[in-house]
Amino acid sequence: MAEPVLELADVRYRYPTGPEALRGVTLSVAPGERVGLVGPNGAGKSTLLLALAGFVTAEGLIRVAGHTLTRGTARDVRRHLGLVFQDADDQLFMPRVIDDIAFGPVTMGLALDEVQVRVHEALHAVDLEGYETRAPYHLSVGEKRRAALATVLAMRPQILALDEPSANLDPRGRRRLIELLGGLTSTLLVVGHDLDLILDVCQRTVIIDAGRVAADGASREILSNRELLESHGLELPLGLAARM
Amino acid sequence: MLDHFAAGKTPVHRLDPAAKTVATLAVILGTVLVGRDHFLPLVPVAAALAVWHAVGRTPLVYTLKRLLVISPFALAVVVLFPILEPGRPVWTLGLGPWTVNVTEEGLVRAGHLAAKFLLSAWATLLLLATTRFQDVLQGLTRLHVPRAFVVQLAFLYRYLWVLLDEVMRMRQARAARDGGLGPWRVRFDSGVGVLGVLFLRTYDRAERIYWAMAARGFDGTLHAPIQSHMQAKDWVFLAGAVAVAGAAILLDKGIYG
Repeated sequence: MAEPVLELADVRYRYPTGPEALRGVTLSVAPGERVGLVGPNGAGKSTLLLALAGFVTAEGLIRVAGHTLTRGTARDVRRHLGLVFQDADDQLFMPRVIDDIAFGPVTMGLALDEVQVRVHEALHAVDLEGYETRAPYHLSVGEKRRAALATVLAMRPQILALDEPSANLDPRGRRRLIELLGGLTSTLLVVGHDLDLILDVCQRTVIIDAGRVAADGASREILSNRELLESHGLELPLGLAARM
Repeated sequence: MLDHFAAGKTPVHRLDPAAKTVATLAVILGTVLVGRDHFLPLVPVAAALAVWHAVGRTPLVYTLKRLLVISPFALAVVVLFPILEPGRPVWTLGLGPWTVNVTEEGLVRAGHLAAKFLLSAWATLLLLATTRFQDVLQGLTRLHVPRAFVVQLAFLYRYLWVLLDEVMRMRQARAARDGGLGPWRVRFDSGVGVLGVLFLRTYDRAERIYWAMAARGFDGTLHAPIQSHMQAKDWVFLAGAVAVAGAAILLDKGIYG
C-alpha cells in the first residue's frame, strides 16, 4: 500500500476552558482516498480539522503529506492541506472573488502568470467563470460555497478537508457540490452530517464520537448499519433508508 | 450600497481609479484652501463637480440622500457659528435671562463652511459613485498608501455588511419574542445583551477569518495583486481636476488679494 498522505496517532486535545475534545484519535488515509468523518454534534470532528492545520495544538502525532506537524512546520503542512471552513463568509475575506482565489497562490510565492492559471482553473472547476470581479457579499450561499472551495483548489493541495460542505445549500446547490466533489482527484476529508452526500462521494466513513474513532470502514457498510449509526446519534441516510 | 452605481459604463467610470482618487483629493484641497467667507472661487469647483455628476450619470436623488445622511455632522458645527461669531446682530432671541444674537458675519461664516463641506462631500460621493470600492482600494495601493491601511479598509468594506446582517438577525430574533409591552428596563438590558453577543461573535469571526487566511499561507504580509496603469485620458482628467483646484485658489487670490 502507498505511503499514507495523512496519518494520525493518538491525537488528543483539551480546550483551555475544560472539555476534552479529542481523546486519542488514530487514523490513516491513503492518497486519493475519500473519507467521510461523521458523528454527533460536539464529537470533536471540527476540532480534529483545526488540529490537522495546527490551529489548535494537539498532543500525539499528525503527519500530512510527509510533514510531521509541529509549531515550526505548520506552514508547510497548510500548503498541502486545503481547509474549507463551514461559514463561507469566513473563507472569503477579500473584496473580489478573484483576489480571494489568488490569495493562496500569491502567498505561496508563485509567479503572476502561474497565479492566473491557477485562478482560472479553480474558477472553471467550481463553475464560477465570469464571477472574477464580483464581491463575495453579493453571491448566493451556493455560489459562496463554491467560491470558498475554489480558494483552496487554486493551491492544489494534496488533501482537501471540508467542514459541513452542504450546510444551508438548496437541493440543486447540493447536487452540484456532489458532482463537483466527485470529479476531484485529490484526497478528500468530508466532515458533516449529510450522510447521503458522504455515501455519494466517499468510499470510506469514519464515525467519531466522544473524541475517539468509534467505527471505520467502507461507507456502504457503515452507513447501512442502522444500529451502529443510531448508537452514535446518527440515522440511516435517506438514500439507503428508502431501499430498506 | 455605498457604491451602488459604481458598476456603470460611462467615460468617468472607465477612468483609472488612482487618477480619480488624486483628482478628488485635489478638488477637496482647492476647496478647503479658499479663504474664509469667499464664495466666488467655489463656483468653478461646483461647476466641475456638476459636469462629473452629469457625465457619470449619477442619479441626483442618490447624491442628495447621501449628502443628507452625512450632513448632521457638519450641521452640528455650522449651526453654532451664527450665534458665536461676534458682529452686527440681525436677529435677537431672548431666552429667559439670556439673549442670543444671530450675527450677519456669523451667518456668512456658517454658509461658507456649509458650502465647502457640501462640495467636498459631493466630490467624495462622486468618486464612490463612479468607482467600485475595490478599485478605489487598488488606486490607493498604487498611490503608496500604507498597505495596512488599505487592508483595513478592505476588511471594513467586506465585513460591515456581514456584521449588519448579524445585528439585523439578532434584532429580529428579539423582536419575534417581544410583544412590545415589556418594561423599558428589560428592553434596554436586552439591547445591551445584543451588543455584547455581537462583540463576542465578531471576535470569534475574526479568529475564524484569521484561520482561513493562515490556512492559505498568510504570514502577515499582503501581496499586491495585478495592476493597471494610467492612460492619456486619465492624465487629462487628473489635469482638469488640478486646474479646477488651481482656478479656485487663483480666483481667491485675484479677487480678494
